[in-house]
Amino acid sequence: MTGWRLFFLAAIVLAAAPFGLPIFAMTLLTEALILGLLAMSLDLMVGYTRLISFGHAAAYGLGAYASGYLLLHTALPLPVAVLAAALLAGVVAIGVAWVCTMATGVSFSMLTLAFAQLLYAVAFKWTSVTGASDGLAGIPRHPGPFGITVFQTKNGYYYLVLVCLLGAYVFCRALVSSPFGAVLRGIRENEAKTLSLGYNTRLYKIAVVALSFALGGLAGALYSPFAGFANTELLFWLFSGQVLIMVIVGGQGTLIGPILGAAFFMLLEHVLSAYTESWALFFGLIFIGFVMFAPQGIWGLLTSRRPKNARI
Amino acid sequence: MDLLPFLLTQCLNALSQAALLFFLGVGLTLIFGIMRIVNFAHGTFYMLGAFLGYSAVRLTGSFWAGLVIGPLIGGAIGAAFEMGLLRRLYRRDESAFLMVTFGLTLVLGEIIRLLWGVNALQVELPNMFAGIVFLFDEPFPTYRLFLAGAGVVVAIAIWQFLERTRLGLLIRATSQNAEMVHALGVDVNLVRTAIFGIGCGLAALGGVLAAPLVTASLGMAGNAIIDAFVIVIIGGMGSFLGSLLAAVLVAFVQVFGNYYFPDFALAAMYMLMLLVLVIRPGGLLGKEA
Repeated sequence: MTGWRLFFLAAIVLAAAPFGLPIFAMTLLTEALILGLLAMSLDLMVGYTRLISFGHAAAYGLGAYASGYLLLHTALPLPVAVLAAALLAGVVAIGVAWVCTMATGVSFSMLTLAFAQLLYAVAFKWTSVTGASDGLAGIPRHPGPFGITVFQTKNGYYYLVLVCLLGAYVFCRALVSSPFGAVLRGIRENEAKTLSLGYNTRLYKIAVVALSFALGGLAGALYSPFAGFANTELLFWLFSGQVLIMVIVGGQGTLIGPILGAAFFMLLEHVLSAYTESWALFFGLIFIGFVMFAPQGIWGLLTSRRPKNARI
Repeated sequence: MDLLPFLLTQCLNALSQAALLFFLGVGLTLIFGIMRIVNFAHGTFYMLGAFLGYSAVRLTGSFWAGLVIGPLIGGAIGAAFEMGLLRRLYRRDESAFLMVTFGLTLVLGEIIRLLWGVNALQVELPNMFAGIVFLFDEPFPTYRLFLAGAGVVVAIAIWQFLERTRLGLLIRATSQNAEMVHALGVDVNLVRTAIFGIGCGLAALGGVLAAPLVTASLGMAGNAIIDAFVIVIIGGMGSFLGSLLAAVLVAFVQVFGNYYFPDFALAAMYMLMLLVLVIRPGGLLGKEA
């Protein structure tokens, strides 16, 4: 299968990156991979189930705050804290999804947005846990488990992120190829029909939101020890929109596309912000351009085959 | 403080708040009713209105000029955007609109930042509204009284416009069956452009009116879009009366919530929304139940 050959090639290139790239590039790359994981997690909802979430910052922020809090207040080893935070995001998402899936279509999008804003407001008020507007600062990377200290170094952390991303990719790929994934695509194409075939579509939707949030939470949980801080920016509605941009620009419903979209986003922001303060302006224009003229996204353009569902 | 004057001033306060929320929500709901699209940039038009109001007062010295210029420019930009971009998307999924208007949010927000800078701008009230009036010996800001009145006037004006004018008729007809209206020889695209412009203009009007209370700032758009969404969800998408009802409900919850449980005022609004969704998933007066 050429798909998996490509995957292993990419994995090898990424694993070799620390040997060829300077430190600042590695920092950018690490962040790009974290954002790629976040965008890929949103793709499960947007690209495979057509659940357009405008609140995916909630998953990222939950994970970031949870791992930050655990690392600041307990001695849990870094990977354990990160996994616990991802799990928390997934569990919270079950409740969120239960509410949000009462609505469909655009109302669903609005509810996810409202929920994310609610979390944003909570992060501002719950000073003892979130540090209010200061956020959490000085988040350490505890050693372990089994005395492993490699994750404390810059490149070691990069490998942790890479392993998480590749693992999550394999998981997502298996998921969307499974019967479960087929039901998700059924919901995407025609929910009423899928329902009448006897599938409890609402349960499937709740499950995919929970999985998506758990992986998005994993990305957030990796971000806060990487950056050393977590603040309310991570929960802001504009960030939710940016993640959605990454998914659409990269190519929804492809898993790999959103990762490319995230990298493209990072690179563009980096380049544009060197020339102009108004990078959001160009960003908005590029995004509008993609939605209007290239709904299949970067990956779609690269592979030049139209996605099965080119309507977005 | 006696209970009756207290309740009266708080109710008036809530009504003035409801007026602002109504300007915001009614445009969004009308646009949705006709075009089946959600205008993510609605909050940004509200913010644009506030900044335009500021500049109008600065340049002409008249608050009233802002009330005319703000909605006109906001409406013109909205109409142009509909003609230039949205019109090409009607065959696509509804989420395409959500995303294109999100792109517009970024672009417009950045242009506003470039034109007016990052600082919050205070808008001066005209002298006649700057003071306070006494209601049952309780002081009450004149401007808020004016706002409540303006809300009533605009609500009646929109209602009459929808019921009595030809364009209003076309708008109602298009929301029920666009193809039939088209078959009868009406240029549906023009109706859509008009309603998108009117909706954006109403949001800008709300912004002009809100600016003296909250200052014109770059944070306005985010809060406004959430409020607008909440109102449209509670009232039912596409329902004019629903948006009026929801604006009043939300305003009362916000004002009394702020007074009795300041820490949970925001959550109260979402709880209200949740309650409505559980009882009536399509919103109070929405079509889809």
